[in-house]
Amino acid sequence: MSELKLDAFSLRGKRVLVTGASSGLGQAVAIGAAAAGAEVVLTGRDAARLEETRAAMVGEGHLCVTADLTQADQREALVSQAGVIDGLVHSAGTAAVRLFRQIDEDFIHRDFSINLDAPLLLTQQLLAKKQIAQQGSIVFIGSIAAHIGTKASSVYSASKGALRPAARALALEVGPKQQIRVNYMAVSYIETPLLTRLAEQGMGGSMATVTEPPLGKGVPEDVANSAVFLLAPASRWITRATLYVDGGLTCQISAQ
Amino acid sequence: MTEMTHPFSMANKRILVTGASSGLGRQIAISCAAAGATMIICGRNAERLQETLGQLAGSGHVTILGDLTADDAITATVEQAGNIDGVVHCTGISIPMPARMAKREFIERLYNINVFTPQLLTNQLLAKNKINKDGAILFMSSTAAVRGVHGTSIYAGTKAALIAAARCLALETAKRGIRVNCLAPDLVETPMLHGSGANMPTGEWLDQQRAIHPLGLGTPEDVANAAIFFLSPASRWITGTTLIMDGGITH
Repeated sequence: MSELKLDAFSLRGKRVLVTGASSGLGQAVAIGAAAAGAEVVLTGRDAARLEETRAAMVGEGHLCVTADLTQADQREALVSQAGVIDGLVHSAGTAAVRLFRQIDEDFIHRDFSINLDAPLLLTQQLLAKKQIAQQGSIVFIGSIAAHIGTKASSVYSASKGALRPAARALALEVGPKQQIRVNYMAVSYIETPLLTRLAEQGMGGSMATVTEPPLGKGVPEDVANSAVFLLAPASRWITRATLYVDGGLTCQISAQ
Repeated sequence: MTEMTHPFSMANKRILVTGASSGLGRQIAISCAAAGATMIICGRNAERLQETLGQLAGSGHVTILGDLTADDAITATVEQAGNIDGVVHCTGISIPMPARMAKREFIERLYNINVFTPQLLTNQLLAKNKINKDGAILFMSSTAAVRGVHGTSIYAGTKAALIAAARCLALETAKRGIRVNCLAPDLVETPMLHGSGANMPTGEWLDQQRAIHPLGLGTPEDVANAAIFFLSPASRWITGTTLIMDGGITH
């Protein structure tokens, strides 16, 4: 076989920061980015599990930084260690489901603090310190819940949904001069520990109300491959976009 | 990482591209071949189709000459194509026309080329089981389908039709793992954009457009890279969607 020309999909020579890298989607994104040639900065709250992710990655120079990104001082510590990055994938998130009558102020604040405030404030700090390189790429991992509005997920849908317009607005501020791209991924049901945990807690009611995606449930690698595409030169003209990685779920329900 | 497990590899895939004699279709054929695919390229102009063929890396590529607005050309193409892993519909025309001047003949011509041709070809490929399991169908839509642009009411309708069709087709083909998606590019620097004629854009207008797109205008390579993503295993769980690629202009 002649040599394949896939340079446009390579992350060789790039540094990528992945949040939520200790499990689920973030873990798969870190592994996928490394496989595509990137040097990865992994962050998450659990040091041991971050190391497990690193052990599963190919390549050299990966850095684990334990941090709770809802805490300003820990965000600062992460930024001071991360160096200049070419890619940023916001995978950290919570998917706590609760019926509307059961929500309260604390629940709302906690959800927004993890899903919206932390990724926005981390991005802001990295930009303020000029730690996102020219032609860099920022990817927010959102959820189709934000587009559908699934049962018991009013707060989660709102916090994930808020990321999309935030990303689009940010893209206008960092696009013309810095050529930094900002995109949003709308993900549906992937086999992850988080989804399993929700089911075990008997909180799967919201899932059951939505049919199985036409292509079945996804695997974390599906999200990782899409993230690599959005980080790579192959997508250099794509910004302010929403990529639906959902097994065909939302094409049935006018949610795109 | 080995070539075989590369998520974006097109090795061992047979890909049919229509409209391959110029512009986006030609670049998609070139890029897919470079990524390892065996190409079946269709177009109306023998000479230019040969030019495309001459630019394809690898071997075993096939050309099919024909005007796909004719039913017999569709039948012949489906027969000659053999079993394929993907089809990219690049046949299309873009002609701006103020609504008050758009007559039936013009409308029928645009729908015939932009909608009937890709749909009829797809339907025939599916009816004859020519698309392999886990294959991919990719339509070339446009941001015109999702953002209003003066003078494009007819063109916009043809491109929006593909988005609507792709969503339904995706459900019909999901059982076999066949995925159906659309690319919706904004202005790309192709011969079509720089063509001549009363309705073609002026240089001044193009400069203006370059300035208002946050990342400028696209290149055929940008669209070809997105096509590879949608044809490759990397997107095996993505179907029924439209990816807008527009340098950030679309609101």
